[in-house]
Amino acid sequence: MENTVVKIENLVKRYGELIALDHLSLEIKEGEIFGLLGPNGSGKTTTINCLLSLLAYDKGSIEIFGEKMSPVNYNVKQNIGIIMQNVAVFDELTVQENIDYFCGLYIHSKADRKQYVDEAIKFVGLEDFRKFYPKKLSGGLLRRLNIACGIAHKPKLIILDEPTVAVDPQSRNKILEGIQELNRQGTTVIYTTHYMEEVEQICTRIAIMDKGRKIAEGTKDELKRMIRNTETISIELLDLSDRVKDKFAALPHVCSCDYDGTKLIIGFSGGKHNLMRVTELLREEELHSGRIYSERPTLNDVFLEITGKALRDKED
Amino acid sequence: MFLHNLKYELISTIRFKDRLFWIILFPIILGAFFKAAFSGIYDNVETFSAMPVAVVGAENDQVLHSMLDSIENSDEPLLKVTYSDEDEALDALVREDILGIIYAGDKLSLTVGGSSIETTVLSSFVEQYNANAAIITQCAKNDPSSIPAVTQTLSEKLDTCREIPVTDGNTDYFTQYFYNLIAMVALYGSFCGIHITINSQANLSPLGARKCCSPTHKSVSMLAALVGNWLIQSLCMIISVTYVVFVLRVDMKEHLPLVYLAAILGGITGVSMGFFIGSLNRVKLPLKNAISMTSSMVLCFLSGLMIGDIKATINEKAPWFNKINPAAVISDSFYCLSIYDNYDKYIVKLATMVIISAIFVILGFAVSRRKKYASL
Repeated sequence: MENTVVKIENLVKRYGELIALDHLSLEIKEGEIFGLLGPNGSGKTTTINCLLSLLAYDKGSIEIFGEKMSPVNYNVKQNIGIIMQNVAVFDELTVQENIDYFCGLYIHSKADRKQYVDEAIKFVGLEDFRKFYPKKLSGGLLRRLNIACGIAHKPKLIILDEPTVAVDPQSRNKILEGIQELNRQGTTVIYTTHYMEEVEQICTRIAIMDKGRKIAEGTKDELKRMIRNTETISIELLDLSDRVKDKFAALPHVCSCDYDGTKLIIGFSGGKHNLMRVTELLREEELHSGRIYSERPTLNDVFLEITGKALRDKED
Repeated sequence: MFLHNLKYELISTIRFKDRLFWIILFPIILGAFFKAAFSGIYDNVETFSAMPVAVVGAENDQVLHSMLDSIENSDEPLLKVTYSDEDEALDALVREDILGIIYAGDKLSLTVGGSSIETTVLSSFVEQYNANAAIITQCAKNDPSSIPAVTQTLSEKLDTCREIPVTDGNTDYFTQYFYNLIAMVALYGSFCGIHITINSQANLSPLGARKCCSPTHKSVSMLAALVGNWLIQSLCMIISVTYVVFVLRVDMKEHLPLVYLAAILGGITGVSMGFFIGSLNRVKLPLKNAISMTSSMVLCFLSGLMIGDIKATINEKAPWFNKINPAAVISDSFYCLSIYDNYDKYIVKLATMVIISAIFVILGFAVSRRKKYASL
């Protein structure tokens, strides 16, 4: 059975009248890439800060590697790598010096550290920028430096708090691939973001948060099975009578059918050959359509169905 | 771990150019301005001591001649004498080449071109000469044998007040401004001190948060940063004192090693003050910088950086304040070295700096000891 790396039970954090974390419980297993997904203000960063013992909380308990987490539990801290939302590096130190400094807070041996720093630089692809100062780096490269500073000491648990904010697509992909590579090497990862695509791409298990509460948890397939709509088929149609629309609505597994004058959108709850049935009906009725496409539900649909609002409602 | 933190604290602080401007370049520029301004004052004094005058009708007055020659050739000549006829003298007076014309005769008389401190001095000189001449003439009539004694007495300067120096020290008024300038450099170290706590506290900076997540003890990394900034500030103080003494040529050479010691301790006091200001929670960085800048300037103002006499005024009204004002304590330490023959008061000033620094550091650590924060 997989070991539990992080165990959070009934965590409550209040800022005056505002409840930032409302009886939050999470269990993260060894080897997972665990995604904390939620809109801005949902409590993701507060959870991370409590986890790291930076933030005092009102109620609950946190265990990491089976030990109660506290600010002075240096054994636990030794095995954690943290990549903050805000880039945390020294402007006056070069890329190599920054990584060496932060690695040195964990690794005392100079020889080991040199090897770790070189590996970290290679891992994030900053070999050509060793002597660069952070101010000379682009936003994407700066984020990579931020990551290198957090992982150079080869921690068992890495916590990434929105590491791809304001990063170009190329750097974002590089970062996400890097996280998967770290995970393949045996590192457990906690990844917070409000980008559902990233979570879907890399996370093995996901908790969706809203208003300080965990509203759903599971693998992405488990989460998607929680909602009624399992497939949405859209057809571009310029003319559709009510009679034909009713025929589409009567197809097996259809749970919703809407037409706005240019596009027919049919929602299915289950069923394996929905697209085939739709195209057969189009042929039978001799309808000339534009593009037809089928979409699987996203985590945004999951969030929408559970909370009644879109994940990105509050996005910057 | 301590040395690792110290190494990178030194590197990052030395490369922080904005900070180095305030603690090295700004005082150097200000010191140059001070020097330029005070040099002008000294030059004016020099001009005042050698007043150009014309003497008319003194061809046969050997006594007046020899007296004027002795004045002109003295170490600090009061007069610069030109012997001429009346027309040339009047032309020179009109052209303002000379300040006045002294007419020889039974009694000296004076014509001046205007009213100023210099013409007042000339007038006094002529009156004094006439009075002395009258005394000697009277003695010659009544008791010619007493003339040598009377002449001897009159040749000595008679003062009702006699200046008796208590030490051989330098009491130059303007030197005090340079003492205060060095004190200002020391207190500007508070800018460095602020960054120690900013970079160590999770609620004040992402860097602080990252450090707090590491297994390095907070007190170790903070102490390393504090020592690093003390060292850098000490270097800045050595540069400043060297500049003031060897470039601006301010007279502080006599006890130079002790001047350096006082300056270094002053710098440590400044950094420690910043360390305490930086540790104040709930205060944003720009406000902390403003507090540091304002407190440094106000303390330096009250120690006499801008108005030399203000420290004396405070000494009358609230003498306790000068004893705890770091800027006053630092500048007083130089003053004590310069004025007093023994080191008692100097040592008291050094001890005061150590105590002030210790209080700031202890308070700073006490406020920063917090491990968890209510909000970030």
